[in-house]
Amino acid sequence: MVKSNLDVIVAGIRQLTPRIREYLLRSPDGAPLPPYEPGAHIELHTVSPASGPIVRHYSLIGGTGSWDDTPDIYRIAVQREDRQRGSAHIHDTFQVGTALQVSWPKNHFMLDRRDSKSLLIAGGIGITPILSMLRSLVRRGRHFEMAYAGRQAGDMAYRQDVLRLAGPHARIHVSGDDNRNVLDIQALLAAQPEGTNAYVCGPAPMVKAAQAAAAALGWDASRIRSELFSSGPGANDVAFDVELRASGRRVRVGRDTSILDALTAAGVHVLSDCRRGECGLCPLPVIETDGEIEHRDRYLDEEERASGKTLCICVSRTTGSRLVLDA
Amino acid sequence: MSYTELDFTFQPGAYADQSTPLVRNCWYVAGLSSEISRDIVSRRFLGVDVALYRTLAGEPVAVRNRCPHRSFPLAKGRLEGDVLVCGYHGMQFDPSGRCVNMPSMPIVPANANVRSFPVVERAPIVWIWMGNPDLADESKIPDTSWLSDPAWQSVGGTFPMNSDYVAMHENLLDQTHFPFLHPGTVGTPEYARSKLDVRQEGNVVIIDRKLKNSPPPGIYGIPAGIMHKKVDRMSDARFASPALHTAFAQIIDHEPDEGKPSIYRFNITHLITPESNGRIHYWWFNSRNFELQNAEIDKFMYEASTKAYLEDVDALEAILQVVQNDVEPQFDLNFAPDKPGLMMRKILYQLAAAEAGYQFG
Repeated sequence: MVKSNLDVIVAGIRQLTPRIREYLLRSPDGAPLPPYEPGAHIELHTVSPASGPIVRHYSLIGGTGSWDDTPDIYRIAVQREDRQRGSAHIHDTFQVGTALQVSWPKNHFMLDRRDSKSLLIAGGIGITPILSMLRSLVRRGRHFEMAYAGRQAGDMAYRQDVLRLAGPHARIHVSGDDNRNVLDIQALLAAQPEGTNAYVCGPAPMVKAAQAAAAALGWDASRIRSELFSSGPGANDVAFDVELRASGRRVRVGRDTSILDALTAAGVHVLSDCRRGECGLCPLPVIETDGEIEHRDRYLDEEERASGKTLCICVSRTTGSRLVLDA
Repeated sequence: MSYTELDFTFQPGAYADQSTPLVRNCWYVAGLSSEISRDIVSRRFLGVDVALYRTLAGEPVAVRNRCPHRSFPLAKGRLEGDVLVCGYHGMQFDPSGRCVNMPSMPIVPANANVRSFPVVERAPIVWIWMGNPDLADESKIPDTSWLSDPAWQSVGGTFPMNSDYVAMHENLLDQTHFPFLHPGTVGTPEYARSKLDVRQEGNVVIIDRKLKNSPPPGIYGIPAGIMHKKVDRMSDARFASPALHTAFAQIIDHEPDEGKPSIYRFNITHLITPESNGRIHYWWFNSRNFELQNAEIDKFMYEASTKAYLEDVDALEAILQVVQNDVEPQFDLNFAPDKPGLMMRKILYQLAAAEAGYQFG
């Protein structure tokens, strides 16, 4: 089956915190959108005049209380990043009625419905998939515990919804603007009964801390399930040119665009599937670059990375201004 | 939700028929406990192929019978402990459907998961929930406790049927066909004319019938040994859910012979799981509360029930053939005795509409 994107229209916008806005995306004719389970996300496709095509991943929230949104709705929340980037483009240009395309839901962050106990850990905007898991656990009456960390309470989207849903099973942890009071994940894990699985979504240091804490406590690594939107751009990413040696074509890759999306937009279709550096379909041979290759995939091994001769074009990039690929 | 059904347009006030989208948020029968084992089996429920097996601890597991990689039927794979191994490229899935190993890849891809379905065993039945898993409330599993109660003895059987659950439920709620489609077994002419009292409680349709001082039908009278008598007959037949119809009968003999009971109870259980619109899995049980150890009565009940239900199967398959093949439209006529069936069809329609996002008053 060929995957085609879904047409949706922005049906509602709500400011949740100074930096986070919630968007309700509705099918144009009110028909049901494909169903999904907690932890699922969509790719949102948009084009910024400054950066070119932008694809961002947003978790599907499903609702804010214990009820479900109607089947024609996808609910997402977008945090505006510090610089004028993809999310800023969304905040600045999306209005009620804006037509968009999104992918079919994908799930890389599955909640195991059989858990004897589920531990949910959210950091910042990482609340979005965790909230859908929380709703599922509450509705099914399962055994769970939740910790939601953020720098200031006022910056934490859905904070009241979390407290309303989870009651005494959730705690809000404020780490402070200097992030001095970091959530003690190791203590949290250490207090769990045998068989607890943990679901972590937040900034990379939080996910790493959870994995390190699990290792220190002798937990099997598979008990920490995490979601990290690693394909998002880094704050210091720059635009560069990709030269394709075989065709002689040159394609500009905006600072907010992946090489894959820039090539696709330019009509150069290369093999790809997962768009997050896991499936191993998109790596292309590198002939040269005037910068360092920033590898952000999970597929290549250390030797391949160190060689500098290949990269996963869906997530990785160069710090230079030019990248020549053997394609 | 099934994507083939997205084009259906719901109209207020309509009744479900064989083309109405199937109700998904419901506990359906996946199979009998005895049918699910360490040998993986596959079945289609509501248009989705499902692989069924048991963990080493005996827990039933249901996952989509389709590898997310190249659509190989997972039921053709094998079990390694509790892990299901695809027979094509060896991808391994735990009972939640999470991929735990892909031999040809250096990492376990996080997106390589197969959908799993909530299943609950209430022996002798394993129930499955094909709809939104968050709504799979185990307290909504219908009561079939007599099937495992030592005070009852049951016989049962199963048929695959080229019919639909709407027609099946309508047949089960329609007692006026008994003496004509099932002469000599469940029906008597007196019963067909007896007054029925139908009521709806939530999404359950209940028919109460009382027939006093008349000969019992063979299916009850022969095992009880009271064919020569006139008895009172009370029955409670109900559309309990899209998956279940029950019929509880009491035969009251006001002048019982020495050593014999005055009340004979029969609980009949009809379990229906749509495979698709147009094909259903059907399991039945006929349970009684007397002569529990009598193998001859078992045999009689089994044979008489099988005969009657095969008559229903033949009729319903013939009806669906006509509906599907006759090009000239017909709007079937409805009469007073069809009221219970129409109430049920309205419920099925409203449940399907609500699942598709429609709200009718």
